[in-house]
Amino acid sequence: MNFEIVDRGGYTALAGTGRLNMVSAPKLRDVVTEAIGQGHNRLVLDMAGTEFIDSSGLGALVGCLKAARQAGGDLRIANVGSQVQMVLKLTSMDRILTPYASVDEAFGDD
Amino acid sequence: MIRALIVEDSPDISGLLASTLRRQGYETASAATGHAALDAARRLRPDLITLDLGLPDIDGLDVCRSLRSFTDAYILVVSARTDEADRLAAFELGADDYLTKPFSPRELAAKAAALVRRPRTALEEETEEETAARVQRGLMPEQAPSLPGYDLAGGCRPSRSVGGDFFDWESDGGSLAVSLADAMGKGMGAALVAATARAVLRPGRLTRSAADLVRRAADSLDPDLIRLGSFLTLLHVRLDGPTGRVTYVDAGHGLGILVQPGGHWERVVNSGPPLGLLPGAVWAEHELELPPDGTVVMVSDGLLDSFPGVDEALDAVASAAAPSPDARSAVAAILDLGEAAEDDLTAVVLRRGGERL
Repeated sequence: MNFEIVDRGGYTALAGTGRLNMVSAPKLRDVVTEAIGQGHNRLVLDMAGTEFIDSSGLGALVGCLKAARQAGGDLRIANVGSQVQMVLKLTSMDRILTPYASVDEAFGDD
Repeated sequence: MIRALIVEDSPDISGLLASTLRRQGYETASAATGHAALDAARRLRPDLITLDLGLPDIDGLDVCRSLRSFTDAYILVVSARTDEADRLAAFELGADDYLTKPFSPRELAAKAAALVRRPRTALEEETEEETAARVQRGLMPEQAPSLPGYDLAGGCRPSRSVGGDFFDWESDGGSLAVSLADAMGKGMGAALVAATARAVLRPGRLTRSAADLVRRAADSLDPDLIRLGSFLTLLHVRLDGPTGRVTYVDAGHGLGILVQPGGHWERVVNSGPPLGLLPGAVWAEHELELPPDGTVVMVSDGLLDSFPGVDEALDAVASAAAPSPDARSAVAAILDLGEAAEDDLTAVVLRRGGERL
């Protein structure tokens, strides 16, 4: 999984394509750690290209959320597909990682 | 000629072992103590060693460990100790097979023949992961506790490697505790977290409420899980046998159902997040009534690989469980559903007998 990072003024959008699993989860953690290190702490992960997530991927998502919040920002997710939504719901993580319909809407309220 | 060394302090049993193996064409020698056994093994270089654990001088497990330091002979433990802990320890220390006393001479002959027909190098080539998988299989419960009026069974789809799934249970004949959990990820890392969680979930599970048990487990596990960036989904169930009242905590697992006698099913209610993801999380205990002829089924997420969604998967689970004559065949039918899945699959079925029971 490769990640694209775009500064959208007010927040930073990250997008990855493929499967967020044991192999790609550490990459997501690295990309987010680096972005936060560069001062981007308001992050939106565009999951339109994420067709599958496993438990390692979920672990990475929650880890990234914590890192962003510790840095005084937040991590939000958008364009979440049905399999990802299912995993979030099953683990009740949809309560803290609420999917937004689009990247624009993720920080639309603040 | 295959050389067998019989390590056994009872002359009668030693004689029976020797005559059984000689009938199979083995050349036999005997030792009645641990020291004599080690000495004979060095001197005679046997191909097969039958090892009693209750020796007069050294514990058989220590003899097993010492034997393994210099011989790759097949070690077949023949012992009256039936405890899981002893069997696991023996395998861990290098035993190849385990036969409990009293034994059938025919089974002894069959086990010995099965061992020697495999090339011994195959044993040496066991990788660490294979060893781990063997130990992990050994940590799964073998037999369900008996609980009057109920039928309980569980199983894992045989998986070549280690994983994060496990189930465990205990009963005092009146109440029952069952846990099914899944640690994040795959492989050895997940297996280590699973083994730790299994141990933490054991103390007090028949006396503490489900919420209390999960709370305590989370307190123990959270610091490690958070440091490791790992987590554990858990469905922990307590049943009061006489009333059929079930209390449970579903910590981000989600894959538990109650199948009513008519086949209609409903899902367990979520209690909170998985362990290790959110420090300070709280888990609400929920309750359900298990009616006569009703069934509680718990599965791991390996099943989801074979279905488009959770509802479809659980619907298939209910349909597989409902017509099965007993819990054991229900588990087998559920595990068959995940045949196409890459992931491990674990299932536990608890069925309450009908009024006739």
